Amino acid sequence: MRRIYESGAIRRDEGPFSPSEKDTERRIEAMRSINSTKLSRLILPNGLSRRAISIDVSTPRDEYPLDAAIPFRVTMRNSMPFPITIPTRSPLLWTWDVDGVTDASHVPLHDPPDEPDSLVFDRGERKQFTKQWQQLFRVSDSEWEPAEPGEYTIGAELNVENAVEKGLRGETTVRLDPDTEA
Amino acid sequence: MTLLEVNDLTVKFYTQEGVVTAVDDLSYSIERGEKFGVVGESGAGKSVTALSLMRLIDSPGRIESGEILFKGENLLEMDESEMQRIRGNEVAMVFQDAQTALNPVYPVGEQIAEAIRHHLDYDDQEARERTIQLLDKVGIPEAEARYDDYPHEFSGGMQQRAIIAMALSCDPDLLLCDEPTTALDVTIEAQILDELKALADDFDTAIQLITHDLGVVAQVCDRVMVMYAGTPVEKAPVEELYYDPKHPYTVGLMSSIPRVGDDRERLQTIPGTMPDLVELPPGCSFHPRCPYAEECCARKEPALLDPETGVAATSDTEHAAACLEYTGDLTGGLDYEVTVDDAATEDEPQYAGRDHNV
Repeated sequence: MRRIYESGAIRRDEGPFSPSEKDTERRIEAMRSINSTKLSRLILPNGLSRRAISIDVSTPRDEYPLDAAIPFRVTMRNSMPFPITIPTRSPLLWTWDVDGVTDASHVPLHDPPDEPDSLVFDRGERKQFTKQWQQLFRVSDSEWEPAEPGEYTIGAELNVENAVEKGLRGETTVRLDPDTEA
Repeated sequence: MTLLEVNDLTVKFYTQEGVVTAVDDLSYSIERGEKFGVVGESGAGKSVTALSLMRLIDSPGRIESGEILFKGENLLEMDESEMQRIRGNEVAMVFQDAQTALNPVYPVGEQIAEAIRHHLDYDDQEARERTIQLLDKVGIPEAEARYDDYPHEFSGGMQQRAIIAMALSCDPDLLLCDEPTTALDVTIEAQILDELKALADDFDTAIQLITHDLGVVAQVCDRVMVMYAGTPVEKAPVEELYYDPKHPYTVGLMSSIPRVGDDRERLQTIPGTMPDLVELPPGCSFHPRCPYAEECCARKEPALLDPETGVAATSDTEHAAACLEYTGDLTGGLDYEVTVDDAATEDEPQYAGRDHNV
């Protein structure tokens, strides 16, 4: 029977490159790597940070029959080759809305704590989030009403002051038409 | 006398994808010495509820609203030192995975003794003796010799017992057991559940038992709360829940239990999965998977109601369910049937209804 000692499974690492002695000759290399996210947050002006981020909202189709769920994709992209940090008003980093109605709800769904937070993008990072709008508007804590046929704007924006002016909002338009085929 | 009262507890996690509502407006109470079961699938919010009671929710999670009254005091308003006095002492927790709950670099006995020294002011020798007694009580053989063993020297079942010993070490009034037997085989599971029951009776400890195993609930609990997508869908005494379930989700859970002697070719399941908690479906969260769902289920969220009277459930309501059937909104009704076949299944109820697999 082959024993474990003969199998080489527990062979000691004795190759030429394995460290056998502590090399005390070299000096400690402080700051071999730096936290580029923190650094860019410190040195980049806010205006440049904001310009680096683009938000896009897209749907697979422009027209939908009534009662069909409308999937939409929110794409946030950092066009810069360095990390970007966008400070937000609360831990709720971004929101979506239909015709300006956040989360398609006339009653507020979230009450985020009043603490600033931030959304961090890596260098050239693209974040994608897929959501669905069920063609319903929440009208109370426990009731929803269907949307009427017509044109609706689905938007998404970062939770910052004046997101539209700062270019941190994206939107798309869909049409709800009872005659459209599913 | 009410030991624990949870009122309108809401716990949310703020993530990049959106806000995860892990527990939404949850209310329940546990009496002294009572064994209370919390069941539901993965992601139903069971563990988050237990962690909230211990104030162990980490960032990005936040207890957004509600109150947790333990012996009349709101745990959410206590400062950290007061909470530390209660945590592990008056409220203790048996964690889901014993192997990760134990510190691998300290002997098991020492980890139990530490809690005893901290909370009960025992000296080293007294704490050691009490630990050995506890290890013996939970069925660790040769407890004195195993005191100095490290967690890796214990089997899975023994680790779980050690965690239970640790939780019981300071005679807690409330024991939160988060799937205490999930990682164990069925024989050890039965032993541990019996031990938990016996120990709870000995120490008059109330138990909140979190599990996804309805068999475990039937064996241990007095009352049960069924959770789905962060909200309670049914609350009932254990017998009523088994013999007279009122919510389609509970019926689905019951009918998906495999039974010896069942002649069906396929096991009945609930189609689909728990919804994404970032984006719950409108109306009743269970409606996309419910075989009895009608149009109104997507438009109206049912509250917990007394199924007999249709009025909103209070903390005194024995049996409550959250389904539009009890508000009179469902036109087709819930046409499932519970039959008890005494001879074949030893009093085990059978559930027949619309096929959940459609």
